[in-house]
Amino acid sequence: MATGMISTGLTGIQVAQLGLLTTEHNITNANTAGFNRQRTIQATNVAMLTGAGYVGQGAHVATISRMYDSFLSSQVNRAQTTSSELASYYTQIKQIDNMLADANSGVSPALQSFFSGLQQVAANPSQLPARQALVSSAQALVARYQGLEDRISQMYDAVNEQVATTVMTINSYSTQIASLNESIVIARSATNQEPNDLLDQRDQLVLELNKLVRVTTTENSDGTFNVYIGNGQQLVVGTQVMKLTAQPSSDDPSRFVVGLATIAGPQELPESLITGGSLGGLLSFRSGTLDQAANELGRNAASLALVFNAQNALGQDLLGQSTGDTNFVSDFFTISQPKVYANTNNAGTATVAATLSDPSIDGVYTLSQAAAGAPYILTRQSDGQVWQSTDTPPTLANLNGIVPSSEGLNLTGATVVPGTPSQVTSAAAIGGNFYTKLTGSNYRLGFDGTNYTMTRLSDNTQWSDTSLSDLSATISGSEGFSVSLNAGAIASGDTFLIKPVADAARNVAVNSTVAADVRLVAAAMPFRTAANSTNTGNGTISAGAAISGFGTPALPSSGVTFTYASAGNAITLAGVPAGANISVTVGGNTTVYTGPTIPYTSGATISFAGVSLSISGSLNNSDSFSLGDNPSGVSDGRNALALGQLQSQNTMSGKTASFQAAYAQLVSNVGNKAREIQVKTDAQTALLKQSTDARDSLSGVNLDEEAANLLRYQQAYQASAKMIEVGSKLFDVLLSAANG
Amino acid sequence: MRISTSQIYDAGSLNIQRNQAALFKLQNQLSTGRRVLTPEDDPVAAAQALLVTQAKEMNAQQTTNQGNAASQLGLVDSQLSSLVDLMQNVRDRVIQAGNTSLTASDRQSIATELEARLGELLGIANAQNGSGDYLFSGYQGATKPFAINASLSAIAPSTTSPVGYYGDDGERLLQVSSSRVMPVNVAGSDVFMNAKQGNGTFVVETGGNGGGINQGSATVDSGSVLDLQKWQQGVNSFAWSNANNPAIQVSFSVAAGATTYQLYDVSVPASPVPISAAAAYTPGQAISLASTNPPAASATSFGAQFVVQGSPAHGDTFSVTPSTNQSLFQTMQNLIGILKSPVGSSSYTNSEYSNALGQQLANIDQALDNVSRVQATVGTRLRELESLGEAASDLDLQYQTTLSGLQDLDWAKAISDFTMQQTYLEAAQKSFAQISGLSLFNYL
Repeated sequence: MATGMISTGLTGIQVAQLGLLTTEHNITNANTAGFNRQRTIQATNVAMLTGAGYVGQGAHVATISRMYDSFLSSQVNRAQTTSSELASYYTQIKQIDNMLADANSGVSPALQSFFSGLQQVAANPSQLPARQALVSSAQALVARYQGLEDRISQMYDAVNEQVATTVMTINSYSTQIASLNESIVIARSATNQEPNDLLDQRDQLVLELNKLVRVTTTENSDGTFNVYIGNGQQLVVGTQVMKLTAQPSSDDPSRFVVGLATIAGPQELPESLITGGSLGGLLSFRSGTLDQAANELGRNAASLALVFNAQNALGQDLLGQSTGDTNFVSDFFTISQPKVYANTNNAGTATVAATLSDPSIDGVYTLSQAAAGAPYILTRQSDGQVWQSTDTPPTLANLNGIVPSSEGLNLTGATVVPGTPSQVTSAAAIGGNFYTKLTGSNYRLGFDGTNYTMTRLSDNTQWSDTSLSDLSATISGSEGFSVSLNAGAIASGDTFLIKPVADAARNVAVNSTVAADVRLVAAAMPFRTAANSTNTGNGTISAGAAISGFGTPALPSSGVTFTYASAGNAITLAGVPAGANISVTVGGNTTVYTGPTIPYTSGATISFAGVSLSISGSLNNSDSFSLGDNPSGVSDGRNALALGQLQSQNTMSGKTASFQAAYAQLVSNVGNKAREIQVKTDAQTALLKQSTDARDSLSGVNLDEEAANLLRYQQAYQASAKMIEVGSKLFDVLLSAANG
Repeated sequence: MRISTSQIYDAGSLNIQRNQAALFKLQNQLSTGRRVLTPEDDPVAAAQALLVTQAKEMNAQQTTNQGNAASQLGLVDSQLSSLVDLMQNVRDRVIQAGNTSLTASDRQSIATELEARLGELLGIANAQNGSGDYLFSGYQGATKPFAINASLSAIAPSTTSPVGYYGDDGERLLQVSSSRVMPVNVAGSDVFMNAKQGNGTFVVETGGNGGGINQGSATVDSGSVLDLQKWQQGVNSFAWSNANNPAIQVSFSVAAGATTYQLYDVSVPASPVPISAAAAYTPGQAISLASTNPPAASATSFGAQFVVQGSPAHGDTFSVTPSTNQSLFQTMQNLIGILKSPVGSSSYTNSEYSNALGQQLANIDQALDNVSRVQATVGTRLRELESLGEAASDLDLQYQTTLSGLQDLDWAKAISDFTMQQTYLEAAQKSFAQISGLSLFNYL
């Protein structure tokens, strides 16, 4: 009996000791990351059957289990991976957000001072200091573009670097998980007990892994974990590790992507598979915001340069040079052509070149006929839209019927010299400005053996054609750049990544020739008009403007004379270059004449060979007007004025946004994205807190509780010891009885 | 719910963090006075602020341009005022010269004075602005616009080579508001070269008699237009012998004491074609310009007339031609030429002198009108600049208000938010300190 009591008491002491040890373990690990509190599972020993029934034999600790719920834990993992993704995105986007709209570092102030410089030139075209100030402010503007672009490329580099280091860390975690898998199997099989602390460590590693990239896990029957990335790519299978690699993309070698190391070599993982965690955040920041910021900035710089150059080309510099003169510099800015990357997996040897298209202008058409008897063709310059006559032999009346009336053109009076295209100008060209159609997207050109396909990557819009040059013409009309096969042969399945404007902000510069000689800024217009001083009527001629196409064909050096004849109320133009048709616009309607005689309407716009002007007032017979070169027109600031007006005109996105509006949109987009991420971060933080709370509520150590447990096991220990003492005393009683 | 110790610490530090972040942002806003610190704070307002800022800066630039334009036009205006004074003076002298009691030396001294005025006139016409650009040379700011063109021979009655214009009709333009481009110069051709002769529509001149000058005492006025439309139609659609050179001649004949006149088409000067029947002449009579049928193919009224005083001699003629432009310099040179000519011989009669002087006086009046017109244009532009300036400063205020609404801080709200946030933070800190001090271990 007494021995039974002692042994039962002993079991109590053992149980209490284990309880105390577990409590101490809990207390000491209260701040260990990933630690789940443990507790002893106490059970009664098998009872002994006696005649009086079953006598209890005390207690034992069945196992030490951890307070763990795999559901709560995986919820934390899920919340954590999203939270890390957002945090990483937010850290990155914040830098751009601050940079773009900063009053000192953004593009806006530099853009403003550049256009103010232009106004100064328009006010004082003959003053070299004004021109110098313009060139200096233009240099400050391009430096600003370059500075922002420089910052953005630093961020690209940083993303590459972080992708590489994150991949290394992921691999290290995977290796640790695999080795823990192994230890767990061994520990289990030896004792058939759960190795709690090892399990905690492994769970913590999975959580750490989730901070880097979203992974999913499954548990095998032997207790090992399999870890997957994306939609089932294995990272860890039992004790096997598949390493991730960071490698230059086959599409674009300048950016690192994540690959999976396979026996056949690294295999690129699509970015859509890498989500969650700081890696997912980095990649979606790069493709969602950084690319957009870089391209938009480039689009702004490229559009400014293209549009400005196109208008500058119509002018005349302080030396009296204009288009056609050997030393005339038409480009104020220099700019780089689009970048094209051939996919490294291409089977063919072809290289593709892309070229930025000339800026568009509305209301300018080309009327042509390839050869005598061929159809007449009217091409709209702004988007390359083509209409052609369908009858044989071709007539202009037929073409006139085909061209929609909304164009406001009457072509029947024109003359087309086969092989010599001539320009036709409608009402839309009057006061119109140049604009670009560039988008902020990148493009992919593919070839499937028959069709060339161009994909706009921002929205996956596609264009397809069997002929690359036809495809290029379509793209040029709507997207603002053209492509051509440079050299080599293209093979089916080859792809090319085209970045029309990504590098523009870095490479835009003020033409060094103009910077060296500010007199070359084309502030004047290349011609001037005059009314003959012997006129007896009171007619006036407008100063006129050079419009797209000026210089081809060139005006004769003797100029053009307009002579009015009262018989027939007509004006005869002498000196209009051969083959140039004369467009006369009254109201919104344009009638095209072969010339040299056109009917006179006061105030009608007369356009030919890139010149547009009007004559108004009541004329007397033989009154005449002239248009000629503009030598020593040093105080003429007409083109500077036209250049200055580009500031508020819609010059971008197919004539829907000004430079500043397009830039403001970028700022707003990035700001919106940053705000969105911030709001999401707040929500996600709350979610993470909730799920962490739920987990900690179950698994976390409460020191007060442990203190209570200490007391509890202490008392249990004391009670069991007392029992032994009692047992011992009983035994003593028995012994003394026997002795006595 | 069971709480673990780490939850207490995590929640405590998280809440303090959050309060501090909010406080930090408010402090930033308070110290900059701006609500929108980065576009993230209000993307729409930030983008709009960029656009409004551009509009405001453009407005400021246009205000600068207005100042520029006003100073340029002011210079032009003051030169034009001097010009008007000068021409008034010349006009007085010409009227004085018309006095028949003047001696040849009187006329000579007037001529000398006019020569000095001509020099003065050239000075005005070649005026420069502060940066050395000529005011009246059109686009060619660096080219001296007016100078004697020695390669041309003198046009009678002037005896010196005419003054040529070396500038052009160019208008120097400035963007003075977003919708207004204003010329800030006037071309020299407009001011000095393009004054119409005669009455502005046509010129009546003595046409001579045979190879010589008119011999009678008849003088003409500068004529008047009764119906401009008829004149226009007549000039353009009458069946002239040479449509490019329309001209009418009134020719007088005196036979048996009766004076008659008849109109001729002299568009081919060598072969006059009669276009009206001969009519009787009474001194002081208005001669109406109209063809009759016969002899002309149609009866056309030119809607104009002129008055002849005195008695013409047989064969005296007057010619009527549409006005072309004559430069102010030419008018002055002509006057000097007339004044220097000896008067009173049969080769230069008193009436010829009066007719010539009268014709130049009409030219001066036309030129004065023309200068006044140009001056009015400049004045209108200056006045427009003033109102544009007012509009621009209104607009500036408007933009400033909009910008302020977009970006600026609501101080009252921000300060009260700040105080509130401060209270939260203090409460969080204090309660955290107290909770963390509670532990059962304290009692063991």
